[in-house]
Amino acid sequence: MSATQIAGRIAGVDAGAPIRQSSLWQDAWRRYLRNRGAVAAAAVFLLMVVWCVVTPIVSPHDPNEVDFASAYEGPSWSHPFGTDQFGRDLFTRAALGGRISIGIGFAATFAILGIGVVYGAISGFVGGALDNALMRFLDALYGLPYLPFAILALAIIGTVDFWTMVVALSIASWFITARVVRGQIITLKENDYVRAAKAVGVRWYGVLGRHLLPNTLGVLVITIFLELPGVILGEAFLSFLGLGISPPDASWGSMAQDGRDSYRAHPHIIVIPSLCIAALVLCANFIADGLRDALDPRTKET
Amino acid sequence: MALLEVSDLRTHFFTREGVVHAVDGVSLTVEAGGTLGLVGESGCGKSVTALSIMRLLPTPPAEIVSGSIRFDGRDLTQLSERELEDVRGREIGMVFQDPMTALNPTLTIGTQIVEVLQRHLGLDRRAARRRAGELLDEVGIPRAHERLDDYPHRFSGGMRQRVGIAMAIACGPRLLIADEPTTALDVTVQAQVLDLLDDLRQERQMALLLITHNMGVVAESAHDVAVMYAGQIVEQAPAQELFSRPEHPYTEALLAALPDLDDPHARESRLAAIPGRPPDLIDPPAACRFAARCPYAELGDCCALEPPPLRELRPGHWVRSAHPASERHLARL
Amino acid sequence: MAAYIIRRLIWTVPVVLLVILMTFGLMKQIEGNPFRQTERAVPAAVQANLERKYGNYVKGVATGDLGPSLVLRDRTVNDIVKEQFPNSIELGLLAFGWAVLLGVPAGVLAALKPNSRFDYGAMLFSNIGFALPNFLVATLLIYFVSVKWGLLPTSGWTTWQHKILPSFTLGLVPMAYFARLVRGTMLETLQQDYVRTARAKGLRRRRIVTVHVLRNSLIPVVTAAAPLLGYIITGSFIVENIFAVPGIGRYYVTAVSARDYSVVMGLTVLLSIIVIFANLVVDILYTVLDPRTREART
Repeated sequence: MSATQIAGRIAGVDAGAPIRQSSLWQDAWRRYLRNRGAVAAAAVFLLMVVWCVVTPIVSPHDPNEVDFASAYEGPSWSHPFGTDQFGRDLFTRAALGGRISIGIGFAATFAILGIGVVYGAISGFVGGALDNALMRFLDALYGLPYLPFAILALAIIGTVDFWTMVVALSIASWFITARVVRGQIITLKENDYVRAAKAVGVRWYGVLGRHLLPNTLGVLVITIFLELPGVILGEAFLSFLGLGISPPDASWGSMAQDGRDSYRAHPHIIVIPSLCIAALVLCANFIADGLRDALDPRTKET
Repeated sequence: MALLEVSDLRTHFFTREGVVHAVDGVSLTVEAGGTLGLVGESGCGKSVTALSIMRLLPTPPAEIVSGSIRFDGRDLTQLSERELEDVRGREIGMVFQDPMTALNPTLTIGTQIVEVLQRHLGLDRRAARRRAGELLDEVGIPRAHERLDDYPHRFSGGMRQRVGIAMAIACGPRLLIADEPTTALDVTVQAQVLDLLDDLRQERQMALLLITHNMGVVAESAHDVAVMYAGQIVEQAPAQELFSRPEHPYTEALLAALPDLDDPHARESRLAAIPGRPPDLIDPPAACRFAARCPYAELGDCCALEPPPLRELRPGHWVRSAHPASERHLARL
Repeated sequence: MAAYIIRRLIWTVPVVLLVILMTFGLMKQIEGNPFRQTERAVPAAVQANLERKYGNYVKGVATGDLGPSLVLRDRTVNDIVKEQFPNSIELGLLAFGWAVLLGVPAGVLAALKPNSRFDYGAMLFSNIGFALPNFLVATLLIYFVSVKWGLLPTSGWTTWQHKILPSFTLGLVPMAYFARLVRGTMLETLQQDYVRTARAKGLRRRRIVTVHVLRNSLIPVVTAAAPLLGYIITGSFIVENIFAVPGIGRYYVTAVSARDYSVVMGLTVLLSIIVIFANLVVDILYTVLDPRTREART
């Protein structure tokens, strides 16, 4: 019997740590699977990622090869998404663009998570005056629009490439996650079974590893899928405004910018990358909803 | 004819996990001006019964599948929502269990009382406000007229419950349903609220349906008592009669479980609890629902084969059991 | 109450200072080019100069002077703001108007008829509204409404017809947000005990919904206005760009591309201050609307 279990018995509470945890995940997994919308979204999401990775490898077209003869073609068998103003195959380019957009999306999201966890954990754990100060500071930062700051950050850094984009976006958007993490830590800290463990003398990092982190993990996973859409759209906006990734690398946003001038005659150039963005964001939203329901089920409204 | 006659009421909840037979055969009567205490443990369906009478259950999952609820001759199960809106608050009032959540926190209590007066009695604002102040006074809130403009959070639990009572009786209903009105209150306040309810009943000649899980409450206040178990009424009798000559094994057990301070051996003995748990209402036993915990049910007994009907053992004393106390010596023969 | 406001105000100061610092750092980066290229440490004398310049700038902001434009030598940042800001405000307000006009009723109706076709439809639209990038929406709207059907002009900001498409585009995400939010809070409120009490009093459904349910459901909507401001500012960068609306969103991008960092800094500071104050106002409003928090906050 572990110390926490002994602690639980003494406190009259079933602390039963390890067994509880695995069934929590299994339960959540099963609940998630029952939500058909969320499962479909996850499938499509995965499919898109696979598509982005695989297509450029197997595609017969060179995404950067200019061929004015085939410019502006609509969707066809050889070019499922058509071609752009330079005759480049959009299907392949979209997949490549996806690599960059999704890549930046995840990287920035994890960066946000990192910053948020550090800030939130310090604030939540230390508590007291420091927590108060950090949170008030956050309150004031809350709601600041990320776009001007991301633009600013990019301008300060000077160049725009994958990693500078990641840095710029994450610096501008970490506030919400920090608050969520801190809230999570506070709730868990005050948990009765944590108190029981401490009362028996279990070390605080034991408490951390066994109890706090697994529960917080759930919240973090949900946060990933909540932040992802914002970051992907952010990168798209920056690229669309011409402040984003520079050619020959293209993200979905910069592809959309390419299609901007010719949309009246050839709408597919802007529509296709935009729909890719929309599809990914939609899926991420549904996945986040599904995860939220799976990890924290409450009686449905009706 | 009694003021309220519920006949074989069945209310089921149609959920994803199955059909919950929350109320499955409830018949009770409340006489005009009298008090009926409805007792039972948590989850037995008392609140669902009360909400069914008022037709306040959300109708997607819940549905009254059969039975009738005759109030003053009219069957409430046959009325439209608009007609019910006229009955609620005007002819039948209801007081709920949790005073902390039963009042709207963003409206003053004056507003919340005035609105029901204006709705049913058509009073103008001034008259309604005056009446509201009088009602608060009647339920024992000090400085009543000044407190009309206060918000609920400025009142204690007991005070809020009094406000709830004031709202419920504002239009002079003939029946007041009180669903566990004292459960969420301190013991000292409980007695006050019960006394208030009884006083109001007498002054206004109002019938009272008092729902509680506490036998003590019922012993004090009720004329008639109905005992409920697993969605069914298992015994109903005048209070005196029920306490002195209980028939159903469950009732006997409930009474036996009451700690008796006068018992010289009280300190050393254990509380007599009823072993086992109530049956699952999604799949209740086909026959007697108490059989699993009943000390008198035997293997192969009729208890396990057929559901015992609610029968009138003595005038005014109804029991749903195959082994009521007064028949047990017969079975031994 | 007053103490609360003052406390919050005090905390906004370090944030504004931080914002100014960040943008200031940018300006110095660009001006101090030689140092950047050689990667030497900035000499002490220049450093002191920097701090003094920073101090001056902060003083300027405090007095409302945002400094001169670097590129357009005959105009100050304040001039530019005076010209363009009102247009952005108008765009933002109109967008907010669309959101409230269409989004809130949609949410209310969806909550009153849960799981109906309307409910599913509304929530589907809401999800799509969040996901579609606004440049796509703008493009499609222009394509169909302006080009194909010729109902409204494609760009510009002069007549009221010009203002419909841009404000609608910008208002789409807030609309989706409100629809979802209102639906959620209403459904939650409908479950509350006090709604059951209201029904038990025999109140008519209409009164229950308007007086008891809506009032309490709309409080979170007010508090949601603050983060929405962030979106409206962000979105305006794109929308003003596409529809050629002469506002500061569009100008910001122009200024960055033209390296007019004085303008960039000034606009960033201005936007930050606006957002911070908007947050404060919303917080105060919230206290006014919910009597319970009134006493907790004093």
